[in-house]
Amino acid sequence: MRTPDSPALAARALVRRRSRLLPGTLLSFTTVTHPPKGFPDRPRRIGLIELTDGQRILGMLAGNSAPKIGQVVIPRMHLSRVNPDGLRLYEVTYELTDRMAETATETKEFPGYILAFTGPSGVGKTTISLLLTKMLSDFTSNVPIVTSRAPKKGDDQEYDYVTPKEFERMEKSGALVAWAHLPSDSEERSYGYRKADILAIWEQGKLPVVVTEMQLLQGLAGYFGRRSILSFGLLPPGNSKRTMLSHLLHRLRSRGRETDAQIEERLLNAQADLDYFTRAADLFDHIIVNEDLDAVLHVIKGHVLELAKA
Amino acid sequence: MQKDISLIGIGQTKFGEWWGKSLFTLIEEAVDSAIQSAPCSALDIDFIIVANMLAESVNGQAHLGAIASALLPHHPPALRVEAACASGSIAVHTACALLESGRAETVLVVGAEKMTDATSDEIQTALMGAADSEKDAPSGLTFPGIFGLVACRYMHEFGLTREQLNLVSARHHLNAVKNPFAQFRQEMTPEQIGASALVADPLRLLDCSPVSDGAAACILSTKHRSPIRIAASQTSTDSVSIADRPTITSFAATKDAMERALDEANVSTSDIAHLELHDCFSIASLIALEDMGFAEPGEGIRWYEEGKPMTVNASGGLKACGHPVAATGIKQIIDISKQLQASGKTIGLAHNFGGVGATCCIHILQHSPHAHT
Repeated sequence: MRTPDSPALAARALVRRRSRLLPGTLLSFTTVTHPPKGFPDRPRRIGLIELTDGQRILGMLAGNSAPKIGQVVIPRMHLSRVNPDGLRLYEVTYELTDRMAETATETKEFPGYILAFTGPSGVGKTTISLLLTKMLSDFTSNVPIVTSRAPKKGDDQEYDYVTPKEFERMEKSGALVAWAHLPSDSEERSYGYRKADILAIWEQGKLPVVVTEMQLLQGLAGYFGRRSILSFGLLPPGNSKRTMLSHLLHRLRSRGRETDAQIEERLLNAQADLDYFTRAADLFDHIIVNEDLDAVLHVIKGHVLELAKA
Repeated sequence: MQKDISLIGIGQTKFGEWWGKSLFTLIEEAVDSAIQSAPCSALDIDFIIVANMLAESVNGQAHLGAIASALLPHHPPALRVEAACASGSIAVHTACALLESGRAETVLVVGAEKMTDATSDEIQTALMGAADSEKDAPSGLTFPGIFGLVACRYMHEFGLTREQLNLVSARHHLNAVKNPFAQFRQEMTPEQIGASALVADPLRLLDCSPVSDGAAACILSTKHRSPIRIAASQTSTDSVSIADRPTITSFAATKDAMERALDEANVSTSDIAHLELHDCFSIASLIALEDMGFAEPGEGIRWYEEGKPMTVNASGGLKACGHPVAATGIKQIIDISKQLQASGKTIGLAHNFGGVGATCCIHILQHSPHAHT
């Protein structure tokens, strides 16, 4: 009979483990008095946890205090067991903290759908979202990106510029639903979405469209729930990472918004972004290669109209 | 239903620990008594459906269709179905499909499980097959553990107390006293339930249905008539892992199957006189009552606190009758038919699910004492 620690299962669990190394909120917990064969023969405390990226997982709880529903938990690695062949199996366990999460995520109502475009710099997110909202102006509306960076030549109307101080204030007051501080040598860059902007679009009966990146997407999924996000990942054309990156380089250079130093940095980020598509595959409903703009728009339009109908 | 399907034969073994009986013997016993109760001969049976979940992993026996077929002199065609704890009702659902299509006119359905051949560790691991092997099992959860999570969340959301929950198993044990086929025919007080050993906090030993051996069989026919007909047979599914659900205090598959079953039978909840629901764990009874529309969310416990006209698990339910996994769904239908015939009432409902409500199958039975010829 297959046991929970067969080498193949352990190897697959290892792949999943990376996406589980996130803090989360405890939704429920139990103590199994006699865990199944293969696990240490002592009571085992297990929780149902909603991680900050919106995914729910079942994991072992660590810590001496009595757990409480709504408690914030943080991940740590833990030697789970040594199997009969001597294979040491590690797993992510979740440590109980003293903090309670601000919102009880489970009872949260489904707020509506948000359309999200994610992809590396230069892949064409902004172009697609602007064309789409023009084409389907009755159904969709762009959510402005609040940023602390200075306006730049070549920016479209997608940004809402604020001072770094103002950005910090909004972040603390809860006016933002998701934000990211992108570490950078060449410029100070913070981006986020205002809650009020998204709610206003829903009130008009339209779908909010966000141009986003990995951190912001995670934030949105955490705030509104993963099921609220219809998420498109955009990839540059190319069969290998190298050709994809050279495509991006070409596009970034030809749009002429960034300096060479900034382009270099964006390419570095783009490499990490491309990895993210496989690492956090759960966060994407559709991965689309942006080779032919018309074809891409056609596909996305189909999905949007389907949602609008529903 | 597209055809008029009658329940013409029923039979079951007593559920319990049958160390002296094999899986084969249990099947044979249930089939024999079903055929004896039917107004036709064994040769009228033109298809057999066997329900079983664990035989491969626990008894080292697959190929149960042919095994059951060998019991009859004419070896009718046979197949085996599996849907975890819902295997029994899914087998009846499959039989209805064969009858409705005209492929068969009289179908024998038998569900059997022989669980006490294995150690409790082996059974625990085998039963986890009803959950998600990659999302649920690696955390070290057991099935009581999964329902422990459900109960903990339910208590948090609706303020249900341990004392209230004790009433559920106590009632089921009381009902089983009168059932000669039940595994545990002794009364249990709410205090005894609350004082039993912790299995998966907050669930205790007496919140859990037991490990049992047993078989149940029934014969359905479009050719032969009986006062009991199948008015609805509906099934629905949901994600297997509770980590993939938006809520764990309500099961979408139950709601969906119920809505469609009421629609198919053209009845409403107030028409139902007898209910057998799937109480694999005490907390599941409350959720089932709510999902089927007999109570508002959080108020399922009222059925155990107050007297109500509809009977709930008059047989003793899974808790006290025993839960030989795949026999249960058929046993519930047998019990509903007996209850309708005893009370003279018209409509009864059997609710059976697998896993944590990942498969739900609902049957509505209609009793018309004088209609059949």
